[in-house]
Amino acid sequence: MALFEAQGLHMRFGDRVVLEDISLDFPEGRLSGIMGPNGAGKTTCFNVLTGRYKPTRGRVVFDGEDITGLPPRTIARKGVSRSFQLMNLFNDFTAEENVLVALPAMRQRGFDLIGDAMGDRDLRERAEAVLERVGLAGKGPELAKNLSYGDRRALEIGVALAAEPRVLFLDEPTSGLGTDAIARLGHLIRKLKGEITIVAIEHDMEFLFGLADSIAVIHWGQVIRRGTPAELRANPWVQNSNLGRLK
Amino acid sequence: MAEPLLILDRVEKAYTRGLINKQVTFRVRADLTFGQSAIVGMMGPNGAGKTTLFEMMTGSNVPTAGRVLCSGKDIHQVKYRERDRLAIHYHQSYQVRHFRRRKPSFMLESAGSDYPLVHLFDEPQFNTQDGYIGFMLDFFRKLRSENRLVFICLHPTAKYHLDILKEVCERFVFVAGGEAKEAPSLDALKEDTRFRSYLGDVMAVA
Repeated sequence: MALFEAQGLHMRFGDRVVLEDISLDFPEGRLSGIMGPNGAGKTTCFNVLTGRYKPTRGRVVFDGEDITGLPPRTIARKGVSRSFQLMNLFNDFTAEENVLVALPAMRQRGFDLIGDAMGDRDLRERAEAVLERVGLAGKGPELAKNLSYGDRRALEIGVALAAEPRVLFLDEPTSGLGTDAIARLGHLIRKLKGEITIVAIEHDMEFLFGLADSIAVIHWGQVIRRGTPAELRANPWVQNSNLGRLK
Repeated sequence: MAEPLLILDRVEKAYTRGLINKQVTFRVRADLTFGQSAIVGMMGPNGAGKTTLFEMMTGSNVPTAGRVLCSGKDIHQVKYRERDRLAIHYHQSYQVRHFRRRKPSFMLESAGSDYPLVHLFDEPQFNTQDGYIGFMLDFFRKLRSENRLVFICLHPTAKYHLDILKEVCERFVFVAGGEAKEAPSLDALKEDTRFRSYLGDVMAVA
């Protein structure tokens, strides 16, 4: 059984249909990709899956529990973390502090006690372990705003991981990154694969084809095609596109 | 016997100017029947009325005359929010027009369908660079196999646009001179001088 499922999601904005009968399933421990051209409805779908929008119709099921319409923070507490297309970090906090505030143990203490937390060796070790996991070992004391764009993306994933989720949703992780940073991010995500269930929305077909176990192609607010990267790559139009020529 | 999927029963839209001495500034007519599922290619010059036809087919733009029947139901007599359960218009994002609604919804009937029967793709962006075309064409074929009617409205500006239409479409409609006419094949359309001049440079390489 899939760990996370979307069942017949419909979404309307006024009279406009933005999602039409979307059903998806994300098996535990796998990396599932969602891709599609600009304006296809990917981010809206993502926002419904992670609780930012309530679907007009349909269900979102996590580990057998119906979580449709629950507030994002409740969904997050159940073990679902997400990153954003536009980064959400505390710029004037250090990388370590950004991770610290996301640790479940820290949340129990209350955010205003960050000064105390910095004196708690156990918490700081946990934060350091998260930074190491995302390739930012030794960068804990740097302010988030001073990090390179690629490091900031890695830190954002670190913040999402700090909450110890069972499912990690990544919204266009390559957006704004250069070739080198994309390669580094690919390496990081490959390392996380298998440890945690990942769902990645991505516009960059090449990136997703190299990482995902299965992919759903979304366009016009619908799932227009599903398959493994090999199955999708076999399409003659894909073969003749830039992606086919890359092989 | 099942009702035809779509009938454009002497449908006409005319826009006029002037209150007393009315002058027609735009007119488009169609009298076509699509009995079964199919993929239909629709072409025509800018301003010929392709989008207006789509708007009438999805029930947003009321015809001046005639009826649009989707599986036997007059789409203009169906509740506004349920019309896209019969026919859905995938717009070009910058071209959504809104029209005044004259009857309250409670006076209208239900669509009686949960998933659109007719799918109208208005100038889908076909880009050969990224490979999405293949998935889009597969989707059109999937809809057809599920007994839906698919319209692809396209302006051929490159030879591969004609190749796409030839690959997936089995019926063709050309909208020009105020009228939507069906052609038996793309090759038959190419014999039409209006179609040849509409294609222009693309015709030379087609």
